Amino acid sequence: MKREDFLSKPVTHMKLKPNMTVNQIVQQFKNSGSFGAGRLATACDVYENMVRDEKCTVFLALAGAMVPAGLRATLSDLIRKRLIDALVSTGANMVHDLIEALGGRHYQGHWQVDDYLLYKYHIYRIYDVFVPEEDFIKADETLIKMFDEIATKIQGKRLSTNQLMWEVGKRLKDPSSIVRSAYEAKVPIFLPAMRDSEFAYIHTVHQARSNPAKALTVDAFKEVPELLDIASHSERLGMIVLGGGVPRNSVQHAALMTGKGLDYAVVITTDRPEPGGLSGSTIEETISWGKVKHKANKVMVIGDALICFPVMVASVMERLGPNFRRKGNP
Amino acid sequence: MSEKTRRTRTLCGNCRYHNTYRYPDQVFCFARFSKRENPVVSIFYHCDEWENKLQDCFCLEDSLRKRGEKAK
Repeated sequence: MKREDFLSKPVTHMKLKPNMTVNQIVQQFKNSGSFGAGRLATACDVYENMVRDEKCTVFLALAGAMVPAGLRATLSDLIRKRLIDALVSTGANMVHDLIEALGGRHYQGHWQVDDYLLYKYHIYRIYDVFVPEEDFIKADETLIKMFDEIATKIQGKRLSTNQLMWEVGKRLKDPSSIVRSAYEAKVPIFLPAMRDSEFAYIHTVHQARSNPAKALTVDAFKEVPELLDIASHSERLGMIVLGGGVPRNSVQHAALMTGKGLDYAVVITTDRPEPGGLSGSTIEETISWGKVKHKANKVMVIGDALICFPVMVASVMERLGPNFRRKGNP
Repeated sequence: MSEKTRRTRTLCGNCRYHNTYRYPDQVFCFARFSKRENPVVSIFYHCDEWENKLQDCFCLEDSLRKRGEKAK
């Protein structure tokens, strides 16, 4: 590269006006092209490219307490509009979706609070979100009975996490529920770390109530060929990551195992690469494994996913317009 | 009633199996639920499996207060 190549694109200063739309603000971020603003603007472009690419299957990898904190309706809408094709999530996020689907709520709280006082009142804290214990318990009660019913219906058949989520979704009424929306839209939900959530407790009590031979069996490995099948039938692969962890690597691993590599990647996280954990690993590091293609359309945004993701989605929805329809892949 | 008595009385509110169901009066008992018995019981109930474990929670205290207020 020559010297002038480094100096080809000046920073254009942001101009903010009253009544700007989300996408107009994102365009100002793009004009700056710097720091988090520049990366977020690039993320919007990458996501727009993903959904406009008719041959691309869009995976959303979801970790962190995004659902309790207010992303539930957004994710449900994305599923119904087929702006994502498959959800790979922590078990906990789906548990929190089900808590609300079954009548519970999450409450705005504060991070500076006497946690022992919360304990005495049977209230759980997720940073500054509060959940009353009874809402967990009532969801547990319904889900355990649902597990009993599903076990009776399937008669010893082993289910993948996705099959179980669709069975649960089938039994819900709440149209805002992620699990219900996924069932209706036939969008798979994979929970690669399902047992690391309230589902473990729900299954344990279900098992205690049942004849052990007739208890529900969820096969953790059964989702792997299902995930690979989707990846192998997709011409191109896209991934949006909120947080990281097991959901992120499950998607990346499917891209690797099918020998395809991801064509598009947006990673939104606050994690750092230096400790060597997957959540903070750079997309470039992922390229070394063959999980993301060298020439992929990609960006990593270091920021709070609860801020960045809704901005990205709102900006892209604005670009797509109200009449945009996506059939979904594969 | 002294604090000590309140915390050691044989009541669901002092049992290790209790979770709140309708705070503060009703508790959900997973021991009963596991045996397919009605799991929702009064905080003042108890059964043979009662196992004292101080949870340091306010449910019994608040329920007693509520009961006292109702009696007034």
